[in-house]
Amino acid sequence: MKLNEKYFPYVLLLPLLLYILLFFFNPFFNALKLAFFDENNKFTLIYFRELLRDPRFFSAIKYTLMFAVTIVPLQLITAFLIALFINRNFKGSKTLLFICSIPLAISDLAAGLIFLSIFTEHGFLNSFFYFLGLIKKPVYFLSYENIPLLFTSILIAEHWRATAIVLIILIAGLQMIEKDYIDAANVFGANFFKRIFYIIIPLLKPSIQSALIIRTLFAFQMFAVVIALAGDMIPVLSGETYFWYYIYRNSHIASCYAVVIIILSLLLTAIYLKFLTYKEPVYENI
Amino acid sequence: MGNLLFLFLLFGLNKLYFISTQLVPIEEAEWFRKNVLSEFEKRNKIKVIFLGANYGEFQDRINAEYKAKKGKISLAGGLSSDFESIGEAFIDLKNFLSNLKKKKINFLPFALKYNKYKGKTIYIPWLQGTYIFVANKKALEYLPPGVNIDSLTYNDLLLWVKGIWEKTGERKFGLPAGPRGLIHRFLHGYLYPSFTEAQIIKFDSEDAIEMWNYVKNLWKYTNPGSARWEKMDTPLLSEEVWIAWDHISRIKSAIIERPDDFVIFSSPMGKKGRGIIVVLSGLAVPETAPSKDYAFSLIEFLVKPEIQREILKGTGFLPVVENISFEGLEKGIKKIAEGVKKQNSGKNLIVSFIPGGLGNKQGEFTKIYRDVFKEIVIKNKNPMDILPFYKKKIIKLFKEKGASLPPPDNEIK
Amino acid sequence: MKIFKKFAQIITFTIISLWVLLPVFLITVSTFSSKQEVYKWPKNLLPKDFSLESIKFFFSSYGTISSFKNSLIVAFITLILVLFISIPSAYAFSRYYFKGRESLKIFILMTRMLPIPLLAVPLTSFYITLSLYDNLLGVALIHTAMALPFSIIILSGIFIRISKEYEEAAIVFGASKLKAFLKILLPLSLPGIAAMLIFTFITSWNEVFAASILTVENRTLSAHILNLLDASPLYFKYAGGFFLSVPAIIFIFFIRNYLMKMWGGF
Repeated sequence: MKLNEKYFPYVLLLPLLLYILLFFFNPFFNALKLAFFDENNKFTLIYFRELLRDPRFFSAIKYTLMFAVTIVPLQLITAFLIALFINRNFKGSKTLLFICSIPLAISDLAAGLIFLSIFTEHGFLNSFFYFLGLIKKPVYFLSYENIPLLFTSILIAEHWRATAIVLIILIAGLQMIEKDYIDAANVFGANFFKRIFYIIIPLLKPSIQSALIIRTLFAFQMFAVVIALAGDMIPVLSGETYFWYYIYRNSHIASCYAVVIIILSLLLTAIYLKFLTYKEPVYENI
Repeated sequence: MGNLLFLFLLFGLNKLYFISTQLVPIEEAEWFRKNVLSEFEKRNKIKVIFLGANYGEFQDRINAEYKAKKGKISLAGGLSSDFESIGEAFIDLKNFLSNLKKKKINFLPFALKYNKYKGKTIYIPWLQGTYIFVANKKALEYLPPGVNIDSLTYNDLLLWVKGIWEKTGERKFGLPAGPRGLIHRFLHGYLYPSFTEAQIIKFDSEDAIEMWNYVKNLWKYTNPGSARWEKMDTPLLSEEVWIAWDHISRIKSAIIERPDDFVIFSSPMGKKGRGIIVVLSGLAVPETAPSKDYAFSLIEFLVKPEIQREILKGTGFLPVVENISFEGLEKGIKKIAEGVKKQNSGKNLIVSFIPGGLGNKQGEFTKIYRDVFKEIVIKNKNPMDILPFYKKKIIKLFKEKGASLPPPDNEIK
Repeated sequence: MKIFKKFAQIITFTIISLWVLLPVFLITVSTFSSKQEVYKWPKNLLPKDFSLESIKFFFSSYGTISSFKNSLIVAFITLILVLFISIPSAYAFSRYYFKGRESLKIFILMTRMLPIPLLAVPLTSFYITLSLYDNLLGVALIHTAMALPFSIIILSGIFIRISKEYEEAAIVFGASKLKAFLKILLPLSLPGIAAMLIFTFITSWNEVFAASILTVENRTLSAHILNLLDASPLYFKYAGGFFLSVPAIIFIFFIRNYLMKMWGGF
């Protein structure tokens, strides 16, 4: 191996690293510093102590994790099935792909607004039930009195809003699977499920990994839809960050929340990177 | 050609950046630009860029400019509490204020009580707001018999909304208890004074316990959407509720849109009196302001009686200067102005101010009331187990900041 | 059997489309309804009372048009920057096994783990010192930083799947590394690049926090809308949400073809 070959990847990464260091690192570092340093720039852990005393902190962790473990797999499965369907390349499959990617274009604020207009007391869903004669009085879908229902409403809204990004990544991945593999499998009589589990999923691993990382990190950051539908009845970590920062105006505690989000995100990303790494023969000749 | 020349001049001219947490809603902001600021622009040959901001953004931006010792903003409009937490970023307006007084601008006396920060006069009063109760006329037939809507007690209010629930099966009372709603003002400025005669110092008294048990009761007949609502005009217009309480600027579009369908009624009475809050907003000049002189002339322009009346006419914000007539106002606006006047001249009034001097702890002050509300009312806990803990917290807040107690607490011996 | 298959296909197509389109339809309806219609109970599922009022007001209001232009400029700069930075980086991650590869990956992803609302003040102070305050380039730089980590993840997920042998073959036949990359790898990974471009555009287009705090006069459309609508009545909110979405939908419409450029079906 030539010497410059050894350093070549670093050269390729140089613009990226320079970019992050120049334009992002300073504010990033200053934002996190607030969790550990007080107004006089002295190291302190009192903010974390305060954080632990905040009763909402633990329920925020609970609900954030609950969202992450329900929504991410759910989206992955739906997106995978829709991607398989679209990939059959029938007449209209491109149209379907376009339709399915529309929610991607809708910002989380707008999505919150849409689903609020559906689930609210005098909203579309109640109007629809009323029209069908199923109800006489509107149902309170978004009530603190029924947290599971409220949780489900958020889940539905988030599922609608953010499945598209997973779908796009998986479609792009599926497009890369060479037809030969599948034809070969067909020749050997592999059935549908065997094809999926032995051929498609293993080959799709890098895309699944990308989708999982992106979606999980987003799941830890979701709050616009939660606030729109639940107010602060269902606390989530990034929602609390936002509240502490913009409403209670204590940027130190907000920063502590951010530290917790980063730690959780790091843990999960590391796990994904470790267990979902794509081991292709490519590496053997390096 | 003249217009073109004017435009040309405008572009060649200075710009004045005016950031504000008031008059932010799209219709108000548009109206303010077209009817008030454009007049000033013509007179002074300067372009005013009016930027609406929520209070977090407002403080962040002023703070960021102050820290960078370089700025674009020349004038800042906000609530008195918006300024206090970043008081060091503004210049002292003491001399300017006395000049205004010499020019016969007569501010309402209360408006000049709280504009100090560490001895500096940090803002000039600008607009006045308050909170009102609004009812849909459909709700009137359910009023408890023999009760006058303008002399309700809090108990009458409870009977009223309970009656509606019993007869219609729906919970038609609403409060803005969402994350950015103002329910904490209802708690510390309306209920607490009405039940305990104070906002803070009677925090865990027997009267306070009685009050919290009352809120628990009221909440049973309150629409659960309240936990999410940030402003009450929408649920009033969609008729998800019939009776609501909120800040004028967050509830007024309902009255303006359908003035004949709603009535404004005076705040109910508790056993100690009729608690209400008066809110004040002001204008301040940042230390880093690039064009301070223009900022001064704009302030002077905005507090002129005729402009103050114009603002009332267009937005429903009440004047901070004396002797403004309500004649010739649009129906909804007139209704609001009269409603507030009626409320302010009611019997047994206990006027509260939003506490000043808490600086950057202002948000934590409101959080205490909201947290207590969640613990006692939403999680249905016993007030006696909750209140003492939060009382300690609130007293600590005031001690830490060396802040004095706001009215009415400061007058109680 | 074939007819049955066709039938199942149509049903699936319809169900999926309905699920996705219904909410979009509802916001469209609300945007074009009159004020009264928006508050009505029970609501008409099809509007009876059409109105262009909200839209007219929205478009004639101060700054809408210029903020639309600003958003396009920011998104365009962001796309270019992301393209030029992420492709070589993704190539490095997918083609080389170098020291510190995994840690570097995590480091880059870490920039995306911090909630953006928290970055607001440090970001603004820092950009003022760089003289990038109230400057579209400043906003684009932040959007680039926000989009880069995930763009790189998406792209390297695609590059890694294209067998190295193709490029090696080209190099054997005398092509330079760069040429092999441009002529072989790039065309093969077009779907991945398309996915990445969509992602980047959306990130920039819908981003609110950095944009609204970093700009004073030169607002982007999302910041403009957030700001105007925060305290505005419901019907303007719908109009704002609707018009923020339309340009992004159009962008997806044009890029989507590249997503499925290659043959499909199995």
